[in-house]
Amino acid sequence: MRYWFVLLLSAPLVLNAQRWLPPLTIDGQPDLQGVWNFGSNVPLERPDNLGAKEFYTPQEAAEKLKQGFQGDRAVTGGAHYDLSQFGLDPSQATYPPNLRTSLIVGPEGKIPPETPAAEQRDAADTARQKGHEFDGPENRPLGERCILFPTVGPPMLPFAYNNNLQIFQSAGYVAILQEIVHDVRVIPIDGSLGGRPHLPATIRQWRGDSRGHWEHNTLVVDTTNFSGQGVFFASATESLHVIERFTRTAEDTLLYEFTVEDPATWVRPWTAQLPMMKDPHRIFEFACHEGNYGMANTLSGARAADALRAPADRQPSGTKPQ
Amino acid sequence: MMKRRARNLLLAAGGLLAAAPLCAHHSFAAEFDADRPVKLRGKVTKVEFINPHSWIHIDVTGPDGKIVNWGVEGGSPNALLRLGFTKTSLPVGTEIVVDGYQAKDNSDRAVGKDLTLADGRRLFLGGSAPGASGPEKKY
Repeated sequence: MRYWFVLLLSAPLVLNAQRWLPPLTIDGQPDLQGVWNFGSNVPLERPDNLGAKEFYTPQEAAEKLKQGFQGDRAVTGGAHYDLSQFGLDPSQATYPPNLRTSLIVGPEGKIPPETPAAEQRDAADTARQKGHEFDGPENRPLGERCILFPTVGPPMLPFAYNNNLQIFQSAGYVAILQEIVHDVRVIPIDGSLGGRPHLPATIRQWRGDSRGHWEHNTLVVDTTNFSGQGVFFASATESLHVIERFTRTAEDTLLYEFTVEDPATWVRPWTAQLPMMKDPHRIFEFACHEGNYGMANTLSGARAADALRAPADRQPSGTKPQ
Repeated sequence: MMKRRARNLLLAAGGLLAAAPLCAHHSFAAEFDADRPVKLRGKVTKVEFINPHSWIHIDVTGPDGKIVNWGVEGGSPNALLRLGFTKTSLPVGTEIVVDGYQAKDNSDRAVGKDLTLADGRRLFLGGSAPGASGPEKKY
């Protein structure tokens, strides 16, 4: 029932957003600090049947949220939890109000097509890994290895759970602590765009190199220097460029927008928008390695499967890790 | 069209399609065997309230009277915390029934599909959860 009230209240909140002024930190920056919930039941890409419909009515959005759990999906795609019991059901979660039909804005609501070169990279990557997915821990995804989760960004995207982050500010810096795999991004802040240059082009990082500046009450973060190893987008190259905008539009609302461009991957840039809301809880410790029994179980399961296979069918082990 | 792998990375990692099955920290299909369902009745010996997944350990007495300690994987602690389930919600000695799937390596580990108390009440349901006041599962 509470979702109805939240959604009905969301329209006036948006209308009042421009008039609401955020509190300031001790050194005069708009204060974005606190724990924020960026979970969402809105898909990144718009379902085909919605066409160019960019927004639901409040009633449609509430109905969509209620549909989060539709019976026992426990064995969809393999062994799985009963979603109603493990906090994975969207209808049980508390999400920031959002009338959008997709996080990606605009009439298409989709990730643009890839360039032919990106398609070739994808195909080569898939072929290289085929049959070696379970050779060893190095072949498993970074998230499964508790190293880096693909949704921590930039750009940041909602996951099935633990969609919580905490923002800290000090003179010249904003730090974003993600609950999942406890990633922290420290962003140097300057008074204006271009105040502090990016790292030299020879230095490449999985999460890129972020630089921030304020445009009125909006924190704009520009990230370049990505490694091109496809941590967030499998085909993205070193030319990936992410621009994020954080605007606190109400006491309990932080609007997050981002634009992603990589001319070597997509035929045009694309933009998404995601509201966050203040979360009354604390960030929970994410001691991922200590509890990562899943890795050992996955590999021992693969070895058990290997033992059942005829020797001639076994793939030689050893391949370039992801 | 965007190639399948790039799209899957985005959509699966983010659990971003509401109509698609939600994804967790790792591949369930890689770790557990959907063709090896198990039903376990036993007493809780330990609850590990840890990321990325909680683990509940139970002593199960087999038909031969032998006691085997099983580990059952559950949801992430923070997802459970926000539903009101804490590390003290399932005291040692509590009898529970687990419907799940055994690990692919045939060890005494399983993913908990359904977890219920001995009296039939289901665990972990939030107050507003669909089915919370609906029909109980039969065992």
